[in-house]
Amino acid sequence: MGEWLSRVRFFFAGRSRAEVDDEIQFHLERQVEANLAAGMSPAEARRQAAISFGGRERTREQCRQQRPSWSLESLLRDIRYAIRGLLCNPGFTLVAVLTLALAIGANSTIFSLLSQALLRALPVQDPDQLVVLSFAGGAPGHHHSEGGNTRGHQHEFSYPMYKDLRDGNTAMSGLIASAPASVGVVWNNHAEPVSAEMVSGNYFGTLGVRPAVGRLFVASDETAENASPVAVLNFDFWKSHLAKAQVEGKTLLINGSPFTIVGVAPPGFHSVVWGRLPEVYVPITMQRTVEPEWTYLNDRKGYWIDLAGRLRPGMTRARAEASMNQLYAALRRAEVPLLIDQTPNDLQDFIDKAHLNLEAGANGFSPFREDARLPLTIMMGMALLVVGMAVVNVASLLLVRAATRVREFSMRYALGATNGQILRQLLTEGLLLGMLGAAAGLLIAPTALGALIHWMSGTTEGRVPFSGSLDWRILGFTIAVTLAASLVFSLAPGVQFWNPRLAEALKQQTDSGRGSSLRFRRTCVALQIGFSLLLIVGAGLFVRTIQNLHNVDPGFATDHVLAFTLDPQMAGYTPATVPAVEQRAIDSIAALPGVRGVAATNDADLRGDDRQGDVVVDQDCAHPRPDDNEFDIELPWVSNGYLQALGVPLVAGRYFTAEDTATSMKVAIVNESFARHYFASNAAALGHRVCRPHRPSTDAVIVGVVKDVKHSSLRDPVMATEYTLFSQAERPGGLWYYVRTWQTPLAAANSIRAAIAGIDTKLIVGNLSTLNDQVDDNLLSERTVALLAGTFGGLAMLLAGVGLYGILAYSTAQRTREIGIRMALGARRGTVVRLILRDVLILAGWAVGITIPVAVLMVRTVRSQLFGVSVADPAVYAVGVLLIGLVAMVAGLIPSRRAATVDPARALRTE
Amino acid sequence: MPPSTDLLQGTLDMLILKAIAAEPQHGWAIAQRIEMVSGNVLQIGQGSLYPALHRLEYKGWIRAQWGASENNRRARYYSLTAAGRKHLEAELDNWARLTGAINLVLESI
Repeated sequence: MGEWLSRVRFFFAGRSRAEVDDEIQFHLERQVEANLAAGMSPAEARRQAAISFGGRERTREQCRQQRPSWSLESLLRDIRYAIRGLLCNPGFTLVAVLTLALAIGANSTIFSLLSQALLRALPVQDPDQLVVLSFAGGAPGHHHSEGGNTRGHQHEFSYPMYKDLRDGNTAMSGLIASAPASVGVVWNNHAEPVSAEMVSGNYFGTLGVRPAVGRLFVASDETAENASPVAVLNFDFWKSHLAKAQVEGKTLLINGSPFTIVGVAPPGFHSVVWGRLPEVYVPITMQRTVEPEWTYLNDRKGYWIDLAGRLRPGMTRARAEASMNQLYAALRRAEVPLLIDQTPNDLQDFIDKAHLNLEAGANGFSPFREDARLPLTIMMGMALLVVGMAVVNVASLLLVRAATRVREFSMRYALGATNGQILRQLLTEGLLLGMLGAAAGLLIAPTALGALIHWMSGTTEGRVPFSGSLDWRILGFTIAVTLAASLVFSLAPGVQFWNPRLAEALKQQTDSGRGSSLRFRRTCVALQIGFSLLLIVGAGLFVRTIQNLHNVDPGFATDHVLAFTLDPQMAGYTPATVPAVEQRAIDSIAALPGVRGVAATNDADLRGDDRQGDVVVDQDCAHPRPDDNEFDIELPWVSNGYLQALGVPLVAGRYFTAEDTATSMKVAIVNESFARHYFASNAAALGHRVCRPHRPSTDAVIVGVVKDVKHSSLRDPVMATEYTLFSQAERPGGLWYYVRTWQTPLAAANSIRAAIAGIDTKLIVGNLSTLNDQVDDNLLSERTVALLAGTFGGLAMLLAGVGLYGILAYSTAQRTREIGIRMALGARRGTVVRLILRDVLILAGWAVGITIPVAVLMVRTVRSQLFGVSVADPAVYAVGVLLIGLVAMVAGLIPSRRAATVDPARALRTE
Repeated sequence: MPPSTDLLQGTLDMLILKAIAAEPQHGWAIAQRIEMVSGNVLQIGQGSLYPALHRLEYKGWIRAQWGASENNRRARYYSLTAAGRKHLEAELDNWARLTGAINLVLESI
């Protein structure tokens, strides 16, 4: 303790040089006196005193090294020296720092996304105790899934099963349920669509989430169906949409029904499922209000809620899984009577294969995460590769610089510097470069991250579960990457200087015995050129894909069409009254000036949506013949003017008309693909009956055949399609409306909103944009790939250019004498420039030549993502090679011009 | 001159501390005293004495003060601090245990 205090005191006030000198002086004088007393002559006395003392300078130095602040002083000296060195070469410093900044910035940006999606734990209490439930085994019934299910891991359970598991288990201190939904919310007479989450009463309590305002749900909020119309708001929604108003106890309309707001969730909390961004939370028992078209609460065959649990303290996951499975097996056996037409196979599937999985849930289950995992991992790999390239290039630049410092370092060795001291100097310089690069990289990272997130959220009001802020994890990762990178590139010249043969280095500067190092660096640059070409080619192919998709003819005109959604149930309409409201909306929009036609469907066009199922033709719907080769067809419900308004040409029979109503004969129109699959000709399809198996109410007569048009997306092939009328459908729901206009479509937006508000102000016009914009949004993944591949490709090309420059500058500096001799012997400047450029082009040529076949092979793996473009598209490759050539020429120009300005007389004299 | 014996690692510190335990001394006197008392067997490299003194001072075991020397000149006198005295005692105990053990072994084999 005292020792530390003393060290700290002397850290700031070590003995001064004058004091040490005085002390040594006194010692010598005292020794001289003693020697004189022993009878020596004055001269001899001084000589003997000096001999017995030894080197004064050495003592002085050793005294200084004892100071507690010594290591810091020498570090500061190294840093001062390094800064001076970097300032002497501003060009080199700038290029190196920028190279590192770009690479580290890209790296931190991508890592931030990766960290948020894959690594960050949920912002709840003790996330490590959470487990996510999924099950294996048959589950006949209705499934509502957000995706993310794999074989043997289905994540959606029925509500009765949830209650049985929650109340019967002994392994968990809480088992919670949640399910997403889209609802309409009215606040202050303003109606808007929001996302909601239906949660169990113990949801917030089990997660350990505390309210920001008021209270969150408790078990008594989840008692009986529709018993507790209460809502909790998400913090962001409360802040952005309700301006942090005093909301506790106020009433909010959800799907037209009043809900009492009881509180606001804390900032940062969204859901136990990562990627869900609910704006309001409601008790799961309010399901009928939130999703009026379904009745799930008492349905053991409706699979729709995600379960997560908190293990009891001291309970392991394996033990909990074993105990939960006993309970689950018993519950499953009790459900057996519900199975229809059970065959032994079905029974075995339902009972024997049933298994409950408890998986670690600290990060929460997320279907979105599973979607994001692969692309993020690939992007992270690319980013790390870019860092690797930057390291190699900076090392290359440092070697160029070191080549001109051979004399300096040899001098320092000669003056007694140790390997350690030289190494420390190199490390200081490298770390300084690395830190400058990292600082600049961290400055660009938030901007890049923000841009990337903005890009991902698309042009519509879609929200993404990523935040643009950097946290400690990113900072730590950046620092780790920077340290590792700095270590590697600063040690590269160190290897060169490791105790060089001094005399040799002082005598000659020519490159001797370092051919292998140059060959290694040439290989690295060749690899970089190859890598950037690969990415540029990838980007090019996706750009061509996007162009081609834009040129695809969907079979109907997509211009001058405004699209929007309208779901009367979000305004509180009961299922029985929905079709009438929807028809009124169609009629009132059709009456607007400038409107050519109105189409409505439950199955959005060209947005990647589909509604598929199997049908039987000309059979008893209640008891269809079993059919093994199931053939899925597209089953949209449309308005009676849909096909005419979109402009889908009729081939046989008739379109739907106003005479086809809810009470008239059920009718269907099929497309050519359907007719081709089931009948001999288009005309032969007319008059036949089509229905869904086991659902007699869907039985309809084919009255018309239309041409094939693209439906789900421009890319997907046309499927066999059966159009039926939404007014004749079993279960009415929200519709997509397509309004074909004379003028620019968005000009009609306000009159459409007004027309809808004229029917009922609670009705919400959602997702309003032109059909063409929606088609563009649907190409988001292609555009993202093109953007990322292009960005990384450009970055890689830039780095390859820097690397190429580094090598050329180095070899040109080494060849100064050779060039001098050539010029002395009559070589022209042009010849010298050609000499250097030839070198560049040979290197680039090799790299390109080897990369092209590799690129063709690698691109084949993404062939299914491409559209209308060959994996060996000549134009794309030509552009890539041209770009590489351009970069190579620019990189080669500077060193070759320097070589051309070599003064032969001086070049020869310096040797 | 008799052959000098290399000092064991760490024993220089102990010798210095012991040399100034009785009364404050300046550097030259410490060197003289150690050499004399040891019958010139222990030769302290005078140049290495001062770094050692400074190290001990920075550790807080000894304290330095300017004072007048026996021939009335300004000299730096080193004296033990309380922490230094404690450290010296511990070192001496250690030393006694070590040499005692070695002697035991040497005598009984």
